Formats: sequence, C-alpha cells, structure tokens
Amino acid sequence: MFRLTLTQMRRGSARLIAAGIAIVISTAFVAITLLASNVMSATTTTSLAARFADASFVASTTGPQLTDADKAAVQAVPGVEAVTGQATTFQRLDNAGRTVFQAFSPVVTDQRLTPLRLADGAWPSQPHQIALPASTAERLRVEPGGTITLEEMTPVLTADGTPDPSGDWTTQPVTVTVTGTIDDPLGAYVQWGGMGVATAGDMERWFLSGGGGDSTAMTYEDLLIALAPGTAASADTRAALVDAIAQASGTDADTITITTPAEHAEQVAANMTGGQNVAFLVFGLVFAAIALLVAALVIANTFQVLVAQRTRMLALLRCVGAGAGQLRRSVLLEALTLGVVASAVGVALGAALTQLALTLAGGMNLGVPLPGHIEVTRAVVLVPLVLGTVVTMVAALAPARAATQVAPLAALRPMDAPTVSQRAGKVRLVFSLLLLVGGLALLGFGIAVASDQFAGVDTPAEVAVLAATAGGVLSFIGLILSSVFWLPAIVGLAGRLVGLSGPTAKLAAANTLRNPRRTAATSTALVIGVTLVAMMSTGAASARATLDTVLDSQYPIDVLVQTTGITDDGRTQGIPATVRSAITATDGTGPTADLTSTHVTLSGPGVDPSLAGETPFGVFALDPAAGRAVLNDTSLIDGLHAGTVIVPRGIVSMLGHDDVENGDTLTLTGQDGSITVTAHLTDMEGKSFFVVPSDMQTLDATAPLDTIWVSLADGADAPTVVPALQDVISDTGASVMVEGAAVERLQFSTVIDTLLSIVIGLLAAAVIIALIGVANTLSLSVLERQRESATLRAIGLSRGRLRGMLAIEGLLIAGVGAVVGVVVGLGYGWAGSLAILSSMSTVILAVPWTHIIAALVVALAAGFLASVLPGRMAARTSPVEALAAE
Amino acid sequence: MTNTTDSRTAVHARSLAKTYGKGAAEVRALAGVDVDFTQGQFTAIMGPSGSGKSTLMHLLAGLDSASAGQAFIGDTEVTGLSDKNLTNLRRDRIGFVLQQFNLLPMLTAEQNITLPVELAGGTVDRDWFATLTNTLGISQRLNHRPSEMSGGQQQRVAIARALIAKPDVIFADEPTGNLDSRAGAEVLSFLRRSVRELGRTIIMVTHDPSAAAYADRVVLLADGHIAGEITEPTPEAVLAALDSLRTLEVA
Repeated sequence: MFRLTLTQMRRGSARLIAAGIAIVISTAFVAITLLASNVMSATTTTSLAARFADASFVASTTGPQLTDADKAAVQAVPGVEAVTGQATTFQRLDNAGRTVFQAFSPVVTDQRLTPLRLADGAWPSQPHQIALPASTAERLRVEPGGTITLEEMTPVLTADGTPDPSGDWTTQPVTVTVTGTIDDPLGAYVQWGGMGVATAGDMERWFLSGGGGDSTAMTYEDLLIALAPGTAASADTRAALVDAIAQASGTDADTITITTPAEHAEQVAANMTGGQNVAFLVFGLVFAAIALLVAALVIANTFQVLVAQRTRMLALLRCVGAGAGQLRRSVLLEALTLGVVASAVGVALGAALTQLALTLAGGMNLGVPLPGHIEVTRAVVLVPLVLGTVVTMVAALAPARAATQVAPLAALRPMDAPTVSQRAGKVRLVFSLLLLVGGLALLGFGIAVASDQFAGVDTPAEVAVLAATAGGVLSFIGLILSSVFWLPAIVGLAGRLVGLSGPTAKLAAANTLRNPRRTAATSTALVIGVTLVAMMSTGAASARATLDTVLDSQYPIDVLVQTTGITDDGRTQGIPATVRSAITATDGTGPTADLTSTHVTLSGPGVDPSLAGETPFGVFALDPAAGRAVLNDTSLIDGLHAGTVIVPRGIVSMLGHDDVENGDTLTLTGQDGSITVTAHLTDMEGKSFFVVPSDMQTLDATAPLDTIWVSLADGADAPTVVPALQDVISDTGASVMVEGAAVERLQFSTVIDTLLSIVIGLLAAAVIIALIGVANTLSLSVLERQRESATLRAIGLSRGRLRGMLAIEGLLIAGVGAVVGVVVGLGYGWAGSLAILSSMSTVILAVPWTHIIAALVVALAAGFLASVLPGRMAARTSPVEALAAE
Repeated sequence: MTNTTDSRTAVHARSLAKTYGKGAAEVRALAGVDVDFTQGQFTAIMGPSGSGKSTLMHLLAGLDSASAGQAFIGDTEVTGLSDKNLTNLRRDRIGFVLQQFNLLPMLTAEQNITLPVELAGGTVDRDWFATLTNTLGISQRLNHRPSEMSGGQQQRVAIARALIAKPDVIFADEPTGNLDSRAGAEVLSFLRRSVRELGRTIIMVTHDPSAAAYADRVVLLADGHIAGEITEPTPEAVLAALDSLRTLEVA
C-alpha cells in the first residue's frame, strides 16, 4: 500500500505542487515569526548588556531603591575603583525655534562604566553644562561651546524667596552650555533616541523635581562597579559588595544581587519577554494562523479532487480486495508525506529569508546591535513542521473518508467526468448559523456597550472591545463554515449576469456551478484574506476620519508663531514684519491670520465679582474671514463678529460660580477703553478671549501683533514645511516661538498608516495562498475535464474561446470571493470602529476606496492570471481525444 | 479545386494517407485512400481493428492532420486548413456523434443541443429544434441533465446536437458502442430516419455488422486500403465480407 501511495504521488506530483506551495508559504511564515522573535530577544539582551559597558559588576536590589549611601558604601569596598548609579530623566530643550525631549544620565568618572564616547568637545563638569548626542545637537543647531535653553522645574517661591508651602513647581527656562557631542557606538540607547549626559548635581536636581514631592533623595536603578586593575572579580568580592550595600541600606542581603553585566542583561531581558516580545510573537502567530487556515482550505480542495479523479482506480483497488481502512490510510499517508516535505521546505525558506533580512539590515548600519546570524532553536524547526503537517493531514481527513466510500462497483461503470457534489450536512448548517447569530449578537452587544460608555454609562472600554472581538471572530467562523450554502448562489447569480454576454461566458458560469462545494471552498479561501484586508483598511480609514475631527478641534491651527519678546517697559513685543514676509515666502504655507493681543479686565453676569478688575485676561483680535481660512475646525470661531466675544468653554469655570452662558453680556475693559459684547461659547483651546479687530481698536489702539496662525497648503508635507519655517524664522533673529501642531497631527496618521501597511503586508500571505488555490482549482478542473474540452473543440469552440471560458471561470471565482470579502470586511471594519472608537468620540464610518478598488483589481487580475496556465493546458487538448474510448 | 466528382458528393478523399512514427517504427495507418460519400446517404465504414477506419474519419472531419493526400467537405479542402478555419468548419458544417456521448454534464439536454448554434452566434431554428426533438423522442427530457438520462437518451441528445446546425455531414464514431442492443437499435433507426426523412448525410464508423446493416452503403477498410464496398447491406452480407477480409489478412 505504501509503495502504491508513493507511485500515485509521483504521478500526481504536478497536482500536489499548488497545495505544497500553500503549506510552504504558511510554515515559512510561522518560522519567520519565531526566528524574528529570537532576533528581538537577542537584540534586547545585547543592547542591555551594552549599557553596562565594561563594568565588572552590576549591583541591583529587589528592596528599596539604591541610594547615594549605597553608592558610597560600594566605593569604600577594597578593590573598587569607580562606581556610578544608573538614573535617567527627560528634559525639554529649546533652541532656534525647535524643541527636543532628551534623556539624560549622569556623567561617569570611569570610561569603563559607560558605552557612550565623546564625539567632540568635553564631558560636562560644571552645573548647567551638558553633552548631547550628535543627532540632537544637530537638530537643535548647536555646536560644542554653544548655549541652549533647558526648561527646568523649580519650586514656586514666595515673595521672600523661600519655597511656597503649597509645594507647587513651575518651569523655569535656564541657559545651559553644550560642552560636547556624544557617540553611542554600541547602540545601547537607540530605543531612547540617544542619551545625553549632565553632571551628577544637575541630574539630582532634575530627578527630584521631576519626581514631584515624593522623592527626597536621589535613587538609582542599579550601580555599575569598575574594579581596580588586578582585582579579581571573585566570589569574595561579590560577598563584600553585598555586605556593604546591606549595611548601608539596612536591608536584607538576600534582596541584593551582584552580577556580571552579561548575567544581568539576560535576567532583565528574560523579565522583559513577558511584554514586548510575547506581544510580537502572538501578533505574528495570529497572522500565521490565518495563512495556515487558508492553506488548509486549498489542501482540502486538492485532496478532494485527487480522490475524485482516482475514483475508478480506488474502486479497482476495492475490487481486488483493498479494505476501506487501507484506502483511508493511503490518502492520509499521502497528506503526511506532502505535509512533512512542504513544511520542511517552508522552515528552510523562512530561515533563509530571515538570514537574508538580517544580513541586509546588518549592512545598513541601523545603529542597533543586530546578531549576525539567526538562532535556529528546536522550536523554530519543530513548531512549523508539526503545525504544517497536522494542518495538511486534518485538511485531508474529509477527502480520505470520501475515498473509503467509493463502491467497488464504480470500477465497472463507464467513466464520466467525476463529480464531487456531496451535500453539505445539516449539522454544519445549524452549527454555522448558531455561530453566526451568536457572534453577531455579541458584536452588537460590544458596540452597544461602547456607545453607552460614550453616553456616560460606566462600563470599562475593555469589555466592549473584548465582546466585539469575540463576536467578530465567532460570526466570521460561522460565515466561513456556512459559505458552502450561500456562496454558490452568489456565484450562480454573478454567473447568470456574466452569461448574458455570450455562450462562452454561459459555459464558464455553468462550470463554476457543477461543483458548488469546490467553488465555495476556493472562493472562501479568498474571502478570508480579502475580508481581513478590507476590515483593516476600513477600520483604519474610519479611525483616521474620526481622529481627524478630534484632531481638528484639538489642533485647530497647523502652525502657531508666537512672540516671546518683551519690551523694556514689560509689554509684549510685536512680531516684526520680517517674520511675516519670511512665512509667506516659505513653500508649502497657505493662508495666514494675524492676531493682536492685549489684556483686559472682565465684568458681567456669571463673572465672579472678586475677579472683576483684578486678574487680567488675554484678548486676541482676529479677522473672522482670515480665521476661517486658517482654522481646521471653523466652528471654533462661529459667532465671531463685531459686538461678540468668543469665550473658550475651558475657562468658563475659572470665571466664577455662576457659569457664563451663551448670550450673556460681558464688559471688557482695556487700557484705551471698554466694550460691552455678547458672549459666544466655543470649544476653542486656551484661556484667551477673541474679538474682532475693530473692537480691539477700542480696547487697545496699539495692541501688538502677538501671534500668527499659519495653515499649510493642501498636500504640503508637514515634517518638511515646519522645520523649514523654523529655519527661516530663526534666521530673522526675532524672538518668536514656532509650534507645529501639524507635525504632531501627522504623527497620528503616520502611526495608523504604518500599522495598516504592516497588517496588510502580513495578510498578503493569506491572499497569495488563496490565489494559488484558485489556480489549483482551475488546473484540476482542466485535468478532469479533458474529454469535455476535446468535445467542445470538436463541436466548434476555438482554442481562444476555450481559454476565454477558463479565464471567465477564474474571474468569477476570484471576483465573487473579492466582492464578498470587501462587503463583509466593510461591515466588520465599521463594527470594529464603533466598538473601539465609540468610547472616545462620535465615530465617522469611512470607506477606504483606494484599498477596496486595489483589492478588487488584484483579485480579478490574479483570477485571470490563475487561468492562464490551465487555459494553455486545456487548449492543447486535441479534439481527437473526445473520440477516444476511455 | 479538384472537382472531378459528382455534384452530389458530400465528402471525398484523394490519396489520403496517414503515417505514425518514423523510420523502423513507422506505421501506415492509411495508405492513400480514394473514397466518395454521396449526399443524403447513410454510409458505414467497417473493418477489423487497426484497419484505419477511425483514422480515415478523423482526417475527413479535420480532427487530425493528414501525412499526404487531400480530404474535402463539399468543395472545401479540409487538409491544410488552419486551426481556426477547422474549428469554424467543424462548428458550421460537421456534426459529431461519439461513442461516449460526450454531453457536457453541467448543461441541460436543451442547452447541449443548442450549444453549436450558440457558439456560432446564430439563433436556434425553433421549428427544426422541435422536429428534431420530436423525431428523436426526447422532447420530454429537455430540462434534464445528462446524469439524469439513460445512455440511449443521452445518445439521442447527442444526435440532436449533431443535427441542430444542419451540417453538411455527420460523423458517427461507434455510436452504439456503449449501448445495449435495444437502445442501440433505436439510435440506429434514428440515424437512418434523419437521412431518409431529414435529408442528412451520415458517415458512421463501426465494427458491428448489424449496425452497418442500417446503412445504405458499407465501405470496407483493411490495412489502410479500401477493400471493397456493399450497397444495400444486410447483416449477413456484411459479416461475410468481413470474414473474407480476415481470410485475406491471414493469407
């Protein structure tokens, strides 16, 4: 029996190739995911180890954090030459209209204790000296010896200079000198965007202020210890270090560990695998599972056809005495062989691709310490091998059962084209309907919970997302399982429409319906991939549209140029005209709006009388037409005209106990006069009022130009235009600040787009496998329809039309799969958006037209391509074969 | 254009030859055959296995290419036509009735019958269609698929398909080979009726003497040569002629 199976496989090897490719792709996917996860762990460990540089030991504790006392105690241990504590804070740096948030760590006394090297200049040695990563220095346009502004937190002081009893902090810009620039040759701080260095004193001050009121002393994540040359890193030294720290901190020696940097990095990396790496692994494996599922459909189809083709031979075997079990085992053995061989090829392919990617990435000098070669663990080989083989065998189970049901009598009957039109069971119908209905109900529940939450009902957002996800998965499984019942009907309908175009199309349509189950399975494989792609694009498009409205009101202005200058008499210094012309001259800028400002006192109903005449409020003057041209959300200045004042909702509560309402009359008093105006509340951010320029004239005839709102031209690239604006404005030498909300805004879109393209890339594997399935189904059909093709040729169908018939079959199967996928995907995409985004905002349901059209075009083109080879094969059939008697 | 034949000749061949293989392995399936088939006649081609009768039919119908000689359908030389012209020739001027019936399983009987007309882009002559299906006794089965019909019914559908486009000639290759004797007799009667009542021309390849007896004329083939012919055949006469061919072979 075994020999017979192998002989059959050799004979039918061409027919198994497509199924084999499906398995190869999906197992390679699994292997790559596992290998990439290994590479990530290795990279993490290496970069962690790099941070400890050439330290002899790393001291860490599970007890209270290490302090300066511990550090001093370690320094006192004989043989210890240098100690440094690892601590990190982030500081805001400003220069030339640019802002960078930079991580800082303390300067070390021994170069063995840091992976950082000086590129230029010197290490900081005095307060308010810093060294910056070369890239940061370049971004801030500063060179060693230059100065920049650092926002330092300082306690709020009372009039006599002592800290205010409230304990509040305020930011204070201080000027710091950049003493040098830093290289990070080992890529130890790549994830942090590089590391800056400051003196221990500055670090401690920043650290304590950043920590709020809780921390009263400097603490360290761990201590790096360098031993004097000639001192052995022995167990005795370790014990002495543990004792020193235990005594200094008064804690149990058990909580203190002294490790070598390599040991420590491994420990930390092992703890981290609980997070990022596992998330990556799960993420990758989910997509691998989708690819495997689609491959299973292709495999099941292939075996079904193989068994159908062999009906006569199987019957003959039954006639000469083969048992049903033997036939089943024969089919399963074939599946096993195919599964093992194809999975092995898949693992090898995955390993080769990952190695290739590593080699290429290594050559590109990404600044990340990548391992030079992949680490092939047992799991990397066994998991894909076992998965691929098991999936293949499971997929072959139903065809194997079909093989046992061939009656010996079939050998004696005249052979006609085999048909595999088994009727799908009632169990399947009921089961799939239950899944579908139950899943949809759960999905609906998830959406309802999410929107209730937006309306104020307090249910955790996670419940909505979990319910919707589970509901979505269940209903989709139900939909796929039930596809055999409804997909052929859709194909039939599409076929009838296509059939109107002529007899060739009519033949093709009839062909797709002769084996409804096979057509359904082939189409379904495509439905899965296309649905997921469409769902992700729809979700992303809806998320972007929804976020756009949120961002429009949050970042209503693309670029804000604001004066920072103060005149000698303490007034705001107006923006000089040079800045204005510089802005207009910059490529990519659109309309601008000028805002003058002054301060007023306020009175009116709803305004706390004690506020009146006391705290000055800021007032901007804005021409409504200019404002509307610039603002992304023009509703923010709705109602702004002479005699009204725009009141941001955010400051209503600051005005007094009785809230100011729409239509209230307010009196604003400025240095030159006062106006009585009608209040109009909008969602404008900030704490300033807005009036029209003519009203401003009454309040303050000499109000300086305080702010310019700049919009970007349509299609302008914010990350290019905003720095360009910063450059030209800093060249004018004016004291102004440039804030590019457009850049931040774009970052949201970029994150969504990046995630979307990764996901679609991963799903592409499933779509490719499904399209291989279409080609497979068509070529198997051609093989089993050889006599029919010959008959058609004999009664007058030309070669071209025979090929055309197969092309239409391919287009029908792929087209229906793609259209169904797009429609279902749209539904799930919208449902998902509602479930996830409802809790944040009103969801806008968008249709990602480009992606949808692309998916349809790709599917149709592939359906056509899939028919090319089978079509050539069919067209080669000589009409004489129609006459051959079996 | 060689037109030395009777104007009533539907199909004729001149020195038609076919060899398979080359050198020592060369097999002469047909060794230069001259034969005429008269319009409106039912002709049977008979001969022992390997006599070249199927090859002759394939060449006459343009299904296979000749090694030498010419074959004509009416005035059209079949040998030497391009694949495209051959396809159109088969579609418009030839009908086939085959041993395996060769109906398309996904189409109904009616769709199978009208397929050649539809492929040609023509409209079905409903009167002719009704005449055919009534004559063949399949008008009640038109909405059935082949798998729902008996062998005899399927073959009658195949005959209707061969006749629907009113072709110049119908080639039948062992049309009763897969039928029991009763169904076979019915099919042969229909073929004869379509010649006598519907004025068609039929060339049938068979090895069954009783089938050949339904024909107006029997052409005997042996070793790729015409070995004689019988007009107004009876089963006994055909059998006797075949026997003499066999004796010839032995000799």
